[in-house]
Amino acid sequence: MGSKINKTHYGYYFIAPFFIGFAVFGLAPILYTLYLSFMKWDGFNDPVYVGVANYTRLLHDSFFYQTIWNTLIIWVLSNAPQLVLALLLALILNEKFIRGKHFFRAVYFFPHIITPVTLGVIFSLMFDWQTGSINKLLMNLGIVNDPVNWFNSPWWSRVIASAVICWQYFGFNMIVFIAGLQSIPSEVYEAAEMDGATKKQTALHITLPLLRPVFLFVFITSVIGGLQLFDAPLMLGDGPGNTSRTMVMYLYQTAFKNFDYSYGAAVAYGIFIVVMFFTAITAKASRLKD
Amino acid sequence: MAKVITKGILYLFLVIVAASCLIPFYSMFVTSTHANSDIARKLLLIPGDQFFDNYNRLKDTVNIWRGFANTLFITVLSTILNVYFAALAGYGFSKYNFKYRNALFVIVLGTMMIPGQLGIIGFFKLMDSLNMLNTYWPLILPSIHNAFGIFLMRQFADSSVPTEIIESGRMDGYGELQIFNRIVLPIMSPALATLGIFAFIGKWNDFLTPMIILFDNNLQTLPVMIASLKSQFTSDFGAQYVGIVIAVVPVLVFFSFMSKRIIDGVAAGAVKG
Amino acid sequence: MKTRKWLTMATSVVLAASLMAGCGNNGNNNSAAGDASNSNNGSANTGASNGGTKELSGKLVIWTFFDQVKDMADQFEAKNPGVTVEVKMFPGDQYQTKLLTALQSGRDVPDIFDLERGYIGKFIDSKFLTDLSAMGGDDLVKDYIPYVQELGRSSDGKLRAISDHSSPGGFWYQKEIAKQYLGTDDPDKISEMVNSWDKIIDLGTKIAADSGGKEHLIQNAGDLFDIEAYNTQPWVKDGKLNIDPKWQTIFETQQKIRQGNVDAKLPFMSAGWGNALNDGSVVLTSMPAWAGFMIDNKDNKANGKYGVAKTPEGFYVGGTYRGIYDKSENKDLAYEFIKYIAGTEWQQHNLEKTGNMPGSGKVYESNLDTYTSTFFGDQNILKPYYESVKQMPAIKADKYGEDILSKWRKAAGDGITNNLSYEDVVKNFKKEVKNTFPEIKVD
Repeated sequence: MGSKINKTHYGYYFIAPFFIGFAVFGLAPILYTLYLSFMKWDGFNDPVYVGVANYTRLLHDSFFYQTIWNTLIIWVLSNAPQLVLALLLALILNEKFIRGKHFFRAVYFFPHIITPVTLGVIFSLMFDWQTGSINKLLMNLGIVNDPVNWFNSPWWSRVIASAVICWQYFGFNMIVFIAGLQSIPSEVYEAAEMDGATKKQTALHITLPLLRPVFLFVFITSVIGGLQLFDAPLMLGDGPGNTSRTMVMYLYQTAFKNFDYSYGAAVAYGIFIVVMFFTAITAKASRLKD
Repeated sequence: MAKVITKGILYLFLVIVAASCLIPFYSMFVTSTHANSDIARKLLLIPGDQFFDNYNRLKDTVNIWRGFANTLFITVLSTILNVYFAALAGYGFSKYNFKYRNALFVIVLGTMMIPGQLGIIGFFKLMDSLNMLNTYWPLILPSIHNAFGIFLMRQFADSSVPTEIIESGRMDGYGELQIFNRIVLPIMSPALATLGIFAFIGKWNDFLTPMIILFDNNLQTLPVMIASLKSQFTSDFGAQYVGIVIAVVPVLVFFSFMSKRIIDGVAAGAVKG
Repeated sequence: MKTRKWLTMATSVVLAASLMAGCGNNGNNNSAAGDASNSNNGSANTGASNGGTKELSGKLVIWTFFDQVKDMADQFEAKNPGVTVEVKMFPGDQYQTKLLTALQSGRDVPDIFDLERGYIGKFIDSKFLTDLSAMGGDDLVKDYIPYVQELGRSSDGKLRAISDHSSPGGFWYQKEIAKQYLGTDDPDKISEMVNSWDKIIDLGTKIAADSGGKEHLIQNAGDLFDIEAYNTQPWVKDGKLNIDPKWQTIFETQQKIRQGNVDAKLPFMSAGWGNALNDGSVVLTSMPAWAGFMIDNKDNKANGKYGVAKTPEGFYVGGTYRGIYDKSENKDLAYEFIKYIAGTEWQQHNLEKTGNMPGSGKVYESNLDTYTSTFFGDQNILKPYYESVKQMPAIKADKYGEDILSKWRKAAGDGITNNLSYEDVVKNFKKEVKNTFPEIKVD
């Protein structure tokens, strides 16, 4: 033990790279962004201190509120079906009698490893109203007579953006659910079977309650990740009247398209507050349930 | 009988979902082999013969293979950095009982809560003042700090790296870093593989950072090139589809060989997380 | 949408340029406007600039998004063997950010940089551009098309950037289709038939009705945004949002166009738009001179097939301007380069090689009676272009114009599609402007 005590300070060396890396590439940019959010700076002239002007503007920015709303809608539209689908598939694939489990798992997981940008482009091409295969298919089947201009409709734009995200994540969450299911000891099921519980009863009263920690993990990660939607929706565009523009898209456009860096910095902090708010609500709600 | 029907329905459901996962990719591939005039007018179900025409138009404007190589280079280097430093810190937290250890660990976990885009504007300006814009440094170096990786590695080191083996290393006269490099890292390799998969997929898909940091087309990464296809080939859909196919097919091939490992790794990481 | 629109435009210019340049190099006449051949090659160089008297030497760095600048550099180097010109090209929308970052930090900066029409207004009053008037630049543009030279001036009237070309637009049509639906393929007669929007609406409604809705006279009601963009008052006057009353008339015209089924509802440069241009399901396509690459001219099959008529009002789309970095150490040499591209020698060469229209009125005039191109057969397209382009009002670029125009395009476009009233369109538009530019006063 003696030697170990002498060596404890090595712990600092081992964790130092993390803290240095975080200070330089994580913390410093965040503080710099904060500093910029109190300036007026368009990249052409030197920054000028303007106090809280950017934040006042943010509070009155109906476009920012609209992006929060859009993000929430897309989040709900993508995550509700996504989680249900993932859980359903996990329950089915966890059954012993199903064959080809590995094949199905791999196929469902596949969209997840494709770059979100690529998925966004694929969907935008599929739903292109002049050349997209979806319209061609619908017209060939006689479901519609004229091509549907999907991205000219606020709700279709949002549904398509949600579909991309749902499609991308259900496989991943299914794997997480399967892992959770497999961590439930088989004795529990055996006991239930001995008590004469039906499959449905087992699922409702044993499996689901035991899955709750996994559920929480999935839910909280999807809140934090889901509110930062960017890559795929960017490829699909703003939608009519900006109805499918997400918060981070707005940040990107403000800072890196309009060169309003300082206002973009305020938007970044606005997003931060919104994300923290919803994460806190989720965390609180999950604790209330316990 | 009822059982057979239930089974049939379940399989049908599985197959339909599987088809919905694969059909868009099939459609991409088929469409990429047709001429623009056909893409605009017809529903395409079987491959055509225009792939190389489309490919040549794409190649003349976008050096997509270069993007592929760039992304691979960045991803491999960052994954190595990411995994190594996460293991180092995770091991440090696990095996050294230094002062403020728990407080520091909480700080590490706390950094996970910060949304990635919060500092992006400051990051851009800071990299500018460090003269690192249009280089790979801002894409690779930040991999040193990965809180999730440290968490994962600490869990693993707590449970699977015996303290005795470290002591015996010290007896043999190894330095602390040598012990880590020679003895601990090999023991931790299952966790390294899991984290490596996460890190690799995450970095491979990275989009916003390279988009704002890199300007030179020869340095650009694949996701940014794919994103720019739409604006560069406004009405040349054939070329766009070929770009998508090139981005997807290598990943498909890689995944079909590695799918078991990847999925197991993700499952392992998720349960730990 | 607004950024996408301009991005599309900018990249299209790049694409056009690369295609055209490619054609010029390998002598393969695939591009529509790219194979302009000129009958007065001999006289081309007689009006050339007075270069060659003094020996120039040194090195210039040029930044651009435009492939054709390489040819400029080659020509300039050939004339001045002591000079090397390094052209760095950044295609797509990365260019603007890259340029701004470099200028702001002052490191790794070019001597000369290019600015696109879409964002020149943001740069023109910045401290980064050298005052060319002080170097004698006004003399270089004295024969210029008025709108082209005015766009290079900052708000104090000083010349800061110069373009080497103009980008006039017109109605392109397939002669066969025009004969079928308009009864003639003569450009002057067609120009006469469509010299007002009312005539276009009447004619277009008839064509749509006669063809059972299969044939449309024009591509899109939205084309009027491009055509009217610079035929209207500036969007911002004395810090206040200014909506030219003319926009109301335009909006009503656009609604009538849509209601009469006059347009095919195909957005500029979209796939369907390109198809219609090539298969003739739209009779008249309004597009700029540089967009000829959209016509499929494989094996010269489109040669002689197309003509160009005048639009009710002249218009231009896009344009590339070149300025000198204020802290450049090679200002004098950079000025020589600007002088070269502003001169007749380069513009004549460019017209012959790529079909790009000159910026100088003098070059237009010296070619006015002689210019022909194999693509357009015996039609001299220079004439209609010149007549419309010289009438374009000279308006300075300001930092808001293009952004606000694209907001209008979006709000009014939405109004046409969803049949909103003009008041609602204006309301939505004002909200957008207020939000993006809080410093502009909006009633």
